[in-house]
Amino acid sequence: MSGIFEYNGGSIVGMKGKNCIAMACDRRFGQQMSTITTNYQKVFKIQDNILLALSGLNTDIHTFYALMEKEINLYNLKENRKMKPTTFANLVASALYERRFGPFFVTPIVAGLENGKPILATYDSIGCKSDLDDFQVGGTGGNYIYGACEAFFKPDMNPEELEEVIGQSLVSGCDRDALSGWGGVVYVLTEQKLTVKILKTKQT
Amino acid sequence: MIDFDPSTFGLAHTYQKEDKDEINTLKMPSAPQVIYRTLNGPTQTNGGNKLNNFKHGTTTLGFVFKEGILLAVDSRASMGSFLSSEQVRKVIEINEYLLGTMAGGAADCQYWLAYLANHCRTYELKNGSKLSVAAASKFLQGILIGYKNSGLSMGCMIAGSDLSGQHLYYIDNDGMRLKGDIFSVGSGSTYAYGVLDNHYRYEMSLNEAVELGIRAIYHATHRDTASGGVVRVYHIHQNGWTKVHDGIDVVDLHYQFAQQKGLVGDGDEAKQRLF
Repeated sequence: MSGIFEYNGGSIVGMKGKNCIAMACDRRFGQQMSTITTNYQKVFKIQDNILLALSGLNTDIHTFYALMEKEINLYNLKENRKMKPTTFANLVASALYERRFGPFFVTPIVAGLENGKPILATYDSIGCKSDLDDFQVGGTGGNYIYGACEAFFKPDMNPEELEEVIGQSLVSGCDRDALSGWGGVVYVLTEQKLTVKILKTKQT
Repeated sequence: MIDFDPSTFGLAHTYQKEDKDEINTLKMPSAPQVIYRTLNGPTQTNGGNKLNNFKHGTTTLGFVFKEGILLAVDSRASMGSFLSSEQVRKVIEINEYLLGTMAGGAADCQYWLAYLANHCRTYELKNGSKLSVAAASKFLQGILIGYKNSGLSMGCMIAGSDLSGQHLYYIDNDGMRLKGDIFSVGSGSTYAYGVLDNHYRYEMSLNEAVELGIRAIYHATHRDTASGGVVRVYHIHQNGWTKVHDGIDVVDLHYQFAQQKGLVGDGDEAKQRLF
């Protein structure tokens, strides 16, 4: 409870499926042991085919998201085209390393669909990218969510199964973490659409 | 003050014919002896920051009203930010007319309230009448003053019924003993006090009091991360105590109260942006 990453609390998880990706996050915004609101946004749609989830210090979540939004808008204006998810994943790593000696206290997860192929990348707070796993977690409840993910996950799930699995993993994980929870949101991205569902969870 | 010989640490004796001068009952392990005392004031826990001190991660409350005393507690135990249990029993049944609430160190509360129970029973047998709530709470205070500054962590309420009525005392590890009408103890106590102070009236009926206790605990569990699980409610009246509710899930309470207000309870009433 005493670290800067534990000050606000929160958990995120990302998973790959068959031609789809899913992200889930809790909704708590707290200050140490006190909960302030239960509707804080932690997953952002950067582009129609890219989602960025952030966990860590909430002020840096907001600032880093605003920075990424600026970068992608400028890219669209300069290059007159959309950014590929793999390019965005690299951009996040560079943007984090730019602040190597005064970092953003966030642990991002990037998920996207590039020509139908799912991309998932996670980083530490100074930009070490890891994109080889089928699911990734972040935040104070991350380790508890890992357990549930390992139990429920199987490769190449369809969007409905993926939504169910990621929702259950998030909820089970957050139930064991005092600093995460108070609601959950699941995002499932396919070639055709982005589905956003709010989970009914423990509000304690 | 000490009834048991300190040298009989952990030994159980049964009545021996040779021991006709003393009746050896089953001896409890003797009370722990403090080997040294810290000379520098209260032991620091968790860097001394009271808000982070998870040993007090709980919400318990009790109040006196015209039908007796109502106690309501949550049931969460946390180790840092890890939730170790959601099913803890924080009301300790000392005997049929005395209840104690647990806040702070679980081991400390369990042990010393069991010690108090033993003392009450011995007194009853030797003197033919029950120990009063005032005397029982004072006995516990005496013990805790003896262990002051040695690191015990207890913030408990002793509530009970005796010949002079129903009484509520707050006892803590600093040796404080307070008689009062409304108490809330633990990290969620501030939230519970807000609800309690708003709707408390001495003339409440039992149903209103139970409803108030449940509501106060629920609000504390919603805002405080170290409180949660289920609400347990006890009522103390002139014939002893009754367990009113053994465990109402606070999750169900949240959605129930939200529905009563015409809301859904998912935190989205402000229609915040989702992506």
